[in-house]
Amino acid sequence: MSLDLTLVFRALVFPGFSFIVLLTFLCDWIERKIEARMQNRMGPTYTGPAGILQPFADFVKLLAKEDMVPRNTRSVVFKLTPVLSFSMFVFAMFFLPIDGSNVILNSSFQGDLIFVLALVSVANFFLFLSGWSSSNPYSEIGATRVLTQFLGYDIPLSILAFGPALLASGLSISTIAASQRIPFALLLPWAFILFIIALQAELEKDPFDVPHAETEIVGGYETEYSGRRLAFLKLAKDVQIVLGAVLVVELFLAGPYGPVFLGIPEFWYTLWFILKVLLVVVITEYLTCIFARLRIDQVLVVNWRVLMPLSILSLATAAGVAFWLNLGVG
Amino acid sequence: MTSVEQEILTTLSKELGEKMLQTPLSQLEKVSVRVNAGIHRDALKILLDKDESAGVSAITGVDLGETIEVMYHVRTHGTIATIRTRVPKKDPRIKTITDILPGANFHEREVADLFGLTFEGHPYPGRLILSEDWPKNLFPLRKDAEIADIENKKENITALDESKQSSDEGVLTTVIMGPQHPALIEPEKFSLKVDGEIVKEVKPRIGYVHRGIEKAAEKRTYLQDVYLVERICGICNACHATCFCQAVEAIMGTEAPVRAKYLRTIVLELNRIQSHMLLLGHAGLEIGYEPFFQYMWRDREIAMDTMESLTGNRVIASFVTIGGVRRDLKEERIPKIKAGLATLKRRMVFYKNLLESDPTLKMRTKGVGVLERQDALKLCVVGPVARGSDVKMDVRKDEPYAAYDKIPFKMISYTEGDSWTRLMVRLDEINESIDILNFALDNLPTGPYRVRVPRIVPAGEAINRVEAPRGELFYYVKSNGTAYPERVKMRTPTFANILSFVHIAEGGNIADVPASFVSLDPCFSCTDR
Repeated sequence: MSLDLTLVFRALVFPGFSFIVLLTFLCDWIERKIEARMQNRMGPTYTGPAGILQPFADFVKLLAKEDMVPRNTRSVVFKLTPVLSFSMFVFAMFFLPIDGSNVILNSSFQGDLIFVLALVSVANFFLFLSGWSSSNPYSEIGATRVLTQFLGYDIPLSILAFGPALLASGLSISTIAASQRIPFALLLPWAFILFIIALQAELEKDPFDVPHAETEIVGGYETEYSGRRLAFLKLAKDVQIVLGAVLVVELFLAGPYGPVFLGIPEFWYTLWFILKVLLVVVITEYLTCIFARLRIDQVLVVNWRVLMPLSILSLATAAGVAFWLNLGVG
Repeated sequence: MTSVEQEILTTLSKELGEKMLQTPLSQLEKVSVRVNAGIHRDALKILLDKDESAGVSAITGVDLGETIEVMYHVRTHGTIATIRTRVPKKDPRIKTITDILPGANFHEREVADLFGLTFEGHPYPGRLILSEDWPKNLFPLRKDAEIADIENKKENITALDESKQSSDEGVLTTVIMGPQHPALIEPEKFSLKVDGEIVKEVKPRIGYVHRGIEKAAEKRTYLQDVYLVERICGICNACHATCFCQAVEAIMGTEAPVRAKYLRTIVLELNRIQSHMLLLGHAGLEIGYEPFFQYMWRDREIAMDTMESLTGNRVIASFVTIGGVRRDLKEERIPKIKAGLATLKRRMVFYKNLLESDPTLKMRTKGVGVLERQDALKLCVVGPVARGSDVKMDVRKDEPYAAYDKIPFKMISYTEGDSWTRLMVRLDEINESIDILNFALDNLPTGPYRVRVPRIVPAGEAINRVEAPRGELFYYVKSNGTAYPERVKMRTPTFANILSFVHIAEGGNIADVPASFVSLDPCFSCTDR
């Protein structure tokens, strides 16, 4: 019975659902602050100390707003997709070690890296469906752009993710994170940089934010959403950003592991984890601020002509590095 | 009349010979000839043969009672030559000139809309300014137009759906941009026929913010009109006021004092700086480069604050008036203004460096929306759009007004004609404007800043042009000897430039439409009046 309670606590409170949502709000706040400072603005200041509660306040505000479903939508899909994509992203987070172990203890298995990447793909497909079911020209263009961009960038992202797997000689994320005595970002700096770029496209951030280029297609796939469905759609996007950052942390920055000082190691692991995630969020947001938006054809050119060959090259060099490391160890 | 104008007049009278009618002494200071309807095409061809960069600046209609006078104001050799012709009101028909100069398209449609003229052979006749349900036989700018009880006379129009009309065109889909669209801050409609991601055809429809200002100006006194024309456009309000006041002063035969001329120059250049900075920031927003937008608009505040300390108002200056300006510039304010200008100058170096070096910015603007010089001339574009396409045209140089003849400055022009050069023209012009302002502040003459003028203006007519931030602004004012003008015609820069959007969007990528559109710096409140 006590074991069950631990499981419930871990799944719902820490490091499960509540922790993930709170971390998402924190990352959202950091993002908004950085973007504002980069643009010579203040950013949120009003709600809570330095406006830290603003993302939460925005979420609650949207929950309270009127929820409208346009008459011509494919109603069931339209209604379900925001929640489904949100839960998919949160579910994917459960397979990533946060406080030294996975959310559900011992749920890690050989090959969960592929599983998590697949979950991300499915969740992204739900985002596409949300736009496609809206029956609005802007949403549909936005949705097709999500899919076009996603199809392009998911492949290099997966290829790049296998580099660390080769070094750790394992396809389980916790193995990869645990085996990094030296962070892989130092061993494979080129793969790290390429992974961040591919992630930038995956997360639809500048210079790759074509799916919701507001001056061309209004709100993209979320144009027709309002009220609590919009709240969940936006939360899903934010969780996706955190998930992307967490993937970088697990694959390249030694996951939650770092020096442990006094007290319980879980506390230090969580602290290192949060700090590393925030570091990655800062990097991606910085990139977002310094670039203009590309056109969809330019995005695809960058993908197929630049990122794709480079990621294959990076995988080959990673294999070389892995071979060399094994020699050294052997 | 200058020697250039004399030469144009001699050429016209020699070539036209008998066909030129002897006009009862025109009070226009510039070249003005009267011909019979039909001959206006020959006169235009003569002017075009002499000067390849000649273009239609505006077409004005005036109701003369039994007849309607149509004036073709042709911009040639840096001045305006007016070809006048009269058509009877009973049978108001005249041959189009769009086959000679495609840029006359909108000008003719506007006159057709407001005066009920039929331009024979016009490729796209139809409503341009007035709404579709406007009564068929009511032409608002005719003097006998009965506009009382207009609500009940409206036409019953139900089918406005354009997507139905284009159903037989196979693969082309119609994407309608506007009247409400996030890339358009003001309402106008552009129907884009799209084949995949490529734009095949653009149909503009303007008039969504038509307020009938030309008609309203006839019902107000000259002094009230100054306030009215300022409200045509918030951004370039001082240009409108200056242009109108200079035209009225020309009819009156008065001249503003020298100090007033310098002060006008200062407020005009401040207008230019803030307008260009607004556009550059807006362009950053359109291509998804928000930091550029935020930085630019923060620095724009310097220009706004200067405007406020000079005129008392941030946006609508209410500064220029007939006979001078309404406030004097106090000596002790000058150092603060100059400090602000020095900051702006430093920032412009930074922005120029940014525009020239940022790779994503260049990917989105270089080679996008190219307007070749030849097309720019054909479409009669004005201002930075023309100068970006290597058409060297600037009213400040061609026909100096205010104090521009005493202030040294460069005319900026680029050759490529793409969106990037149009932005660069504006950036460089801000630099020039800062220099002009510094010069004007250093050499500000002493003396009165306005002269008192009578309320009643003698009968006459005048044309005036001002280089507004968006290009040449054209005013035609006709007085009938009372306190109320007989006719006030304004041709705003965007009205002349909007046709070029159709040209540069066709054949381009749909994602480039906002980026190339914003580089024209469209202002629809100006366009519609």
